[in-house]
Amino acid sequence: MKERNQYREIEDFLADESFRLWMRSKKDLSGWEEWTLEHPKRAKLVEEARLWLLAMKVPDNNMSQEKLNAALQSTWMKIEKTEQESKMELKLIQLWSTAWVRKIAAVLVFGLLSVYVYNNYFASKTYYSSYDEIVNNLDEDGLLEQINNSNKPQIVTLSDGSSVLLQPKSKLSYPKIFTGNERNVYLSGEAFFEISKNPKKPFFVHANEIVTKVVGTSFRIKAYANQSNVEVLVRTGKVKVKSEKAIRNSSQEEIVLLPNQALRFTRKDQTFDKITDITMDKSISSSVKSIEQLSFEFTDIPVSQIFKTIEQAYSVEIDFPQQELEKCHLTTSLSDQPLPEKLKIICKSIGNNSSYTMNGNQITILSKGCN
Amino acid sequence: MKNQILNNDVVDDCELWAEMKAGDEKAFSTLFKRYYSYLIQYGNSFSPHSEKIQDCVQDVFTDIWVYRNSLSDTVVVKAYLLSCVRKRIVRLQQRDKVFNKAKSVDAIAFLFDFSVEHQLISDELTAGKVAHLNKLLNVLPARQKEALYLRYHHGLNVDQIAGVLNVNYQSANNLLHRALVNIRKEWKGNMALLLMLLAHWI
Repeated sequence: MKERNQYREIEDFLADESFRLWMRSKKDLSGWEEWTLEHPKRAKLVEEARLWLLAMKVPDNNMSQEKLNAALQSTWMKIEKTEQESKMELKLIQLWSTAWVRKIAAVLVFGLLSVYVYNNYFASKTYYSSYDEIVNNLDEDGLLEQINNSNKPQIVTLSDGSSVLLQPKSKLSYPKIFTGNERNVYLSGEAFFEISKNPKKPFFVHANEIVTKVVGTSFRIKAYANQSNVEVLVRTGKVKVKSEKAIRNSSQEEIVLLPNQALRFTRKDQTFDKITDITMDKSISSSVKSIEQLSFEFTDIPVSQIFKTIEQAYSVEIDFPQQELEKCHLTTSLSDQPLPEKLKIICKSIGNNSSYTMNGNQITILSKGCN
Repeated sequence: MKNQILNNDVVDDCELWAEMKAGDEKAFSTLFKRYYSYLIQYGNSFSPHSEKIQDCVQDVFTDIWVYRNSLSDTVVVKAYLLSCVRKRIVRLQQRDKVFNKAKSVDAIAFLFDFSVEHQLISDELTAGKVAHLNKLLNVLPARQKEALYLRYHHGLNVDQIAGVLNVNYQSANNLLHRALVNIRKEWKGNMALLLMLLAHWI
């Protein structure tokens, strides 16, 4: 701080505590009066500084002692409250620093984390359970289960005349007889469906997280439990696909597929990817199975040839009286028919009370030759 | 010698502060009684809600006691308290829109008005001058006024003012300087006019 002899500006005076005291309360502890009178120039500055101070009065803090004490008391009360709160915190911290609490917390965190990781990255097993869960829950209804452990496709015929070509390592659960207003089947793996038409009883295929609704059509579903996608490929007719979740939430979100359209459902984020041109999608078009490529449009074709096509398409064996049927030729369109329907149509076309029996993969045609 | 009163206070403050930090409740109470009313006055100059200000100042003291162990050993107690109160009001205002409608963090306005020391004025000429000067002071921008208040009422130095107002040293210095220069310029001009009028009247 400057010596007062060097004060040249009123700021210098204003900033001087003892000067302020002298001006405001007439307490001249530092001999200001004497000092001012020493020099007339000083007196002028001092006078101006005085005016400033007189114009800058701040009211006194005349707070009563009672009020002050009351404030102090309420502050002590606040302190007590805060300290109690922080004691609680301290207790929590102490508890936390106890080794076993931390161990338990660590185990819990680790456990939750591994469940999360398991669900997200090794979820194949949990996906797997979705088929098992559904099937087990519905077991009371008397479901039949077909499991294909061979390396060839298997044909499954349902009570309504629909046929399902079950691919290796796949399984299908279906009721012995369809009751109620719906036909529900459950698939894990891959299968080609040919559904007999019945608009009053829509057909539902539950495969992993999606539900495919059909009236009468043929389509393939590929829903292996350990694969990250579910694929639906339509050959004829029209199908509607929803996720199981959407059905549970009765949401309207559904995808409509027309012939030669496909859909890929990504299981991890439950999203649909519609593929309108299957030739553009390599992974789907390359996996198209023979049945979907074979034509069932026959024009003046020997019956033996038609049976061969069916054998090839459905991996079945057809036993038929070769001699009797040698000269039979048929013109027919069987594209949109399930296997039993195909056989029925063929038998009808041959005429002469021809019929067939089916026993697993073994089909026997009984006929005495064509008309 | 010259700043005996002030220095005495400061030394005393430092001692009390140290004792308070060591857990002496008496020292805390003394500090509280010494500064509480100042802080209330300062706080009230930001807001008309005096109850909230009381709460606010008491909370400042509460925090000081509760967290005394983590406080700095060397503080200028008065400046520290003023700064705590101001910060707390700013925070309160951010949280509580009813408190006062302000747009930015530093926008709490210093609403205080200086008054005139009538008792110490005996002649009319001085009274006229002082009244005029007082008017000029009170129309200063809020921050300049606040800087003057902290400097010439609470005796804070520029550094401490910068700390309280949360600006750098240069800005605090500018605030003070500009306030004085502006007023003096206007005052000098008007004073000449006033003197002329007086001379004419005589």
